[in-house]
Amino acid sequence: MKKTLFNTIKCILFLAMLAFCVTAASILVKRKDSDHKYADFFDKAAQDQIDVLFFGSSHVINACNPCVLFEDYGITSYNMGGHGSVMQATYWELMEALNYTTPKYVVVDTFLMQKDYKFLDVMEENATEDDPNVALEQLHLNMDAWPTDHIKLAAVTDMIQSPLRRMEFLFTMTAYHDRWKELTKDDYEALFGRGERNRMFGAEMRYNVERFPKTYPDPEGWVGLETYTVGEEYLEKIIDECQNRNIGVIVTFLPCSATTEDKKAAISAEEISAKYDVPFYYMLDGDIIDLYTDLNDTGHLNALGATKVTQFLGEILMDTGEFEDHRGDPDYDDWQEKADAFYRELADKARESDNLYQQLNYLSVRDVSCVIYINEGSDAFSDERFKNLICNISGTDTFRETDGPYILIRDQSQGKEYVYEARDSGELKGVKTAMGMLNYRPVEHMFRLLYTDEDPDTNYLYDDEHYEYDIQIIVYSQENGEILGRSYYKSYGNDYEQ
Amino acid sequence: MINALLAFGAVLPIAALINALIPGKYRYIWLAIISLGFYFALDYKAGVVLMASILVTYGAGLLIGTIRSENRSFAGKAILFLSIVISVVAMLVFRSGSILGAIGISFYMLKAIGYLIDVYREDVDPERNPIKYSLFVSFFPLILSGPIERAGNLLPQFDKPANVDFDRLRYGILQILWGLVLKLFVADRLAIFVNRVYAAPSDNSGTVVFIATLFYSIEIYCDFAGYSYIAIGAARLLGIDVMKNFDSPYMSGSVAEFWRRWHISLSSWLRDYIYIPLGGNRKGIFRKYLNILIVFAISGIWHGSALTFLIWGMLHAVYQIVGYLLMPARNFVVKKLGIRREGYSHRFVKAFLTFLLVNAAWVFFRADTVDTALTVLRKSLEVTPWIFSDGSLFTHGLDVMDMNMGVLGIIFVIIDDVINYHGVDLREKLVHEGIWFRWAVMILFVLLILIFGIWGPGYDASSFIYQQF
Repeated sequence: MKKTLFNTIKCILFLAMLAFCVTAASILVKRKDSDHKYADFFDKAAQDQIDVLFFGSSHVINACNPCVLFEDYGITSYNMGGHGSVMQATYWELMEALNYTTPKYVVVDTFLMQKDYKFLDVMEENATEDDPNVALEQLHLNMDAWPTDHIKLAAVTDMIQSPLRRMEFLFTMTAYHDRWKELTKDDYEALFGRGERNRMFGAEMRYNVERFPKTYPDPEGWVGLETYTVGEEYLEKIIDECQNRNIGVIVTFLPCSATTEDKKAAISAEEISAKYDVPFYYMLDGDIIDLYTDLNDTGHLNALGATKVTQFLGEILMDTGEFEDHRGDPDYDDWQEKADAFYRELADKARESDNLYQQLNYLSVRDVSCVIYINEGSDAFSDERFKNLICNISGTDTFRETDGPYILIRDQSQGKEYVYEARDSGELKGVKTAMGMLNYRPVEHMFRLLYTDEDPDTNYLYDDEHYEYDIQIIVYSQENGEILGRSYYKSYGNDYEQ
Repeated sequence: MINALLAFGAVLPIAALINALIPGKYRYIWLAIISLGFYFALDYKAGVVLMASILVTYGAGLLIGTIRSENRSFAGKAILFLSIVISVVAMLVFRSGSILGAIGISFYMLKAIGYLIDVYREDVDPERNPIKYSLFVSFFPLILSGPIERAGNLLPQFDKPANVDFDRLRYGILQILWGLVLKLFVADRLAIFVNRVYAAPSDNSGTVVFIATLFYSIEIYCDFAGYSYIAIGAARLLGIDVMKNFDSPYMSGSVAEFWRRWHISLSSWLRDYIYIPLGGNRKGIFRKYLNILIVFAISGIWHGSALTFLIWGMLHAVYQIVGYLLMPARNFVVKKLGIRREGYSHRFVKAFLTFLLVNAAWVFFRADTVDTALTVLRKSLEVTPWIFSDGSLFTHGLDVMDMNMGVLGIIFVIIDDVINYHGVDLREKLVHEGIWFRWAVMILFVLLILIFGIWGPGYDASSFIYQQF
C-alpha cells in the first residue's frame, strides 16, 4: 500500500514536470504575433478600461488607431482586427473578447462580407491550393492568444473542417514546433513574461502612399449581394450578440479602393444594419479621406488615412454621449503614454524618411515645425499626389497655382500652428519661428536665401553639395529652433531620389 | 483511413490502463477487442479481410491438428498446402490494393502461415480458443509492421501475461520514446533530403546523390527499427514480450551477418519456414546457393511486386554467394598480410564494405524504377566535393540547421548501435539509473520529439515505410 502510494506520487510528480517542460517549450516556439497584439487587451480588460472594440479585417488594423482616439477624445479602445478576417472569424473574435470585457460600443467593419464559405480550410471552389493555408495562417493571429477553452473549441470547430488542422489551434505546438530554427531573444523573453507587445492597442500603422489608387464602378442600380452569404449570416450574429448584451454597435465599410463586389457587400451590410436599427457608415463617400494621399496600398489606409478615419469615428462615438474623457485621469496614464509614443514616432518619421511621399505624409499627420522648399522647374509641380500632400500640410491651394519656386514654413513654436507660403518671386520677411525671425528671398534659379535676422550669414537653403536638388525639407525643433532633420530630393517625373 | 500513428497513440494508453486493471486470465479478451477495434477503425474493409484470414487459418489450424493426431500425414500436408496457397494469394491480391487494400496483411499473414506450419510440425498445439487466436493474428502493436511473431512465443503469453510493474512500464515507455526519436527526429528528417534527390537524381550533383543513398540507408533503418521499438515497447506495456527485430545491423561484418541482425523476425521466418525446409546447407554447395537465391527472391517479392524489389533481394543473395565463393581467396589474403581478424581495424573495414554493399542494394529498394536506380548508382560515383563549401548541399530540403540535426541524429544512432553491438542495452541500463537522471532523459526525449521532430500540418505520420509491405 505504502509502495503503491509512493509510486503514484512519483508518477504525478513526473507528469507535472513533463507538463511544465512541454508547456515551456510550447511557449518558447510559439509564434508571438497574437500574444503581442493582445497582451495589452488582457491587461486593460482586467482593469475594465476598454470603452470600444474595433473588429474586422486588416482594413481595421490599419484604419482604427486607439492612440488617436485617446489623444483626441479620451476614449479608450482596442483594435481586434485580424489579417484576412472573414466575418465568421470576426464573430468568434468578438465572442472571445466578450469573455473578458464588455465595451460600451463595438465597431465592426464589413469588408469581405461577400465571402460565402464556411470553412477556412476548404474555402471556395476557385481557391488555389495555397489559399486555405494562408487563411489559416492569418487566423492564427486572431486565435493564438486565447486560451484553449470551450469558446476556442467551438470557434475552430465552426471555422475549420479538418480535425487535424483544428489541432494546430488548440495545441499551437502542432503548428509552431518547427520554429526552433528561428527563435530570437524575444521568444526566450516570453518565457518569463517579458515578451514584446503591440504599443498601439492592437492597431498597426502603415506609412506608404499608394501612387495609383484604383477606382471601380458602382454596382448597377446600387443593389447589394445577389445571394445571402455566410458573411451576412455572421454579421447578423455579431449584431445580435451585441444587442443581447446591451452593447452599442456601429457597422462600417472603411475606405479603400473598393471593387464593385466590395461595394455590393457594403450595400448589403447597410440593409442588415437597417434591419437591426444600428448605424452604418459607408466611408467611401464624402471627403473623409483623400484617396491620393491616405492609402498605403489599394486595400489599406496609411497613418494619415487612419488618423482621419479614427477622428471621424471619434466624432460619431462622442455624439452618442456615452463616453467620458479619460485624459488626465492617472489611472489611464498608460493610454496617454502610448498615445504620446505614437505621436513621437510620427514626428521622428517626419524628421527623416527614405521616401518623399512618406515624409510629406508624416509631416501632414502631426504638428511638426518645418520648412519645405521646391525650386522652379521641379517635376513636383506637375505631380498631383505631391500637390495633395503639400496642400494637406498648408491647408491652402497656393501650391497648385504655381510653377515655382515655392516655400512653405510651418511653425508651432507659439502654441499654435502658423503656416507661411511664398510662390514665384514672392518673398517672406520677418516670419517669427523657433529658429528666429526668418526671411526668404529667391535670387536666381540655383540660388535663394533663407536666413534669420539673428544669424544673417547662414543660408538654410543652400549648400554646395546639394545645390542641384530641387526639393528641400528642413524639420526643426519647435522648442529651440535646432535643426532636427534635413532632406534633399531630386525629381524625375513622378519619382524622387534622395 | 485515419492516421495510424495518432490512432495508435490514442489507443495504447487506454488499452494499457484497462489491461492493467483486468485479471490476467481475462486480459486476452480485452486485448482482442481493442486490437480488432483498432484495425477496423483504421479501415473497416481491411478489417473484413483480416476476419476472413483469421477464420480460414483458425479452421485450417484445427483441421491440421485433428488430422495430425489421427496420423493422416498426406491429408494434413494437403490442408497445409491449400491454406498456405490461399493465404499467399490473399496476401498478394489484397496487398496490391487492386481489389481492396489491407494494411499490414503481409505481416499478419506470415504470422498465420508460420502458425500453421508449426501446428503441422507439432511444434505448437492448435489454438482452440478463437478469441485467443484472433488476438494472435491481430495483436494491435504488431499488426501494421511486425515484428512477425511466432505462435510458440505469443500464444502462451496470452494465457499468462506478465504483470506490468514499474520496471516494465519504464522500459516500455523508453522503447516507445526511442522509437519515436528514430522515426520523427532522424528518419523523417533525412527523408526530406532523400525524397528530393530521388525525385530527379540526374538533376543533382554526384556527391549529393551519394549522400542521399547513405541517408536512405539510415532512414529506412530508423523508420523500421523505430516502428519496431514502438511496437515492442507498446506490447511490453500490455504485459507481452515480443522478439527483437533489429540488432545493430550496420555493424555487421558480412551480408550474411547483416541478415541475422536486420528484420530478424522476417529473416528468421524465411530461414525456418523456407530455407531449412528446402534443405538449407545440408544438400551440397549448389543446393545451398540455390536455396539462398530462392529465399531472397521470395524476400524481394514479399517486399513488393516491382522488379526493383526482386533485384534488391537477388543482390543480397548474390552478395552472399560471391562472399562464400571468395572465402578461400579472402582467407589467403588475410593470412598473407598477417591481418588480425579480431582487430578493430579489420572489423571496421569489413563493416564498412558490408555497409557499402547493403547501401547499393537499398538504391533498388528505394527507386521507383530500375532506370532510376541505375541513374542514382551512376551519379553517386561522380565526385563533387564542393557541395560542402558552396552551400548547395543545403538546397535539397534540409537547411544548415536541419542538416545539423540530421547528422546529430545519425550520431545518436551510431552510438546506440555500437553500444548495443557490445551487448549493452542502453534503455535497460537507464531503467536502473537514478530517478532524476531517468526522468531527465525521458523528458529530453519527449522534447526532442516535440520540438525537433518532423510532424504537424502537412506531414503524414501514418507513413511508416514498412506499412506498405
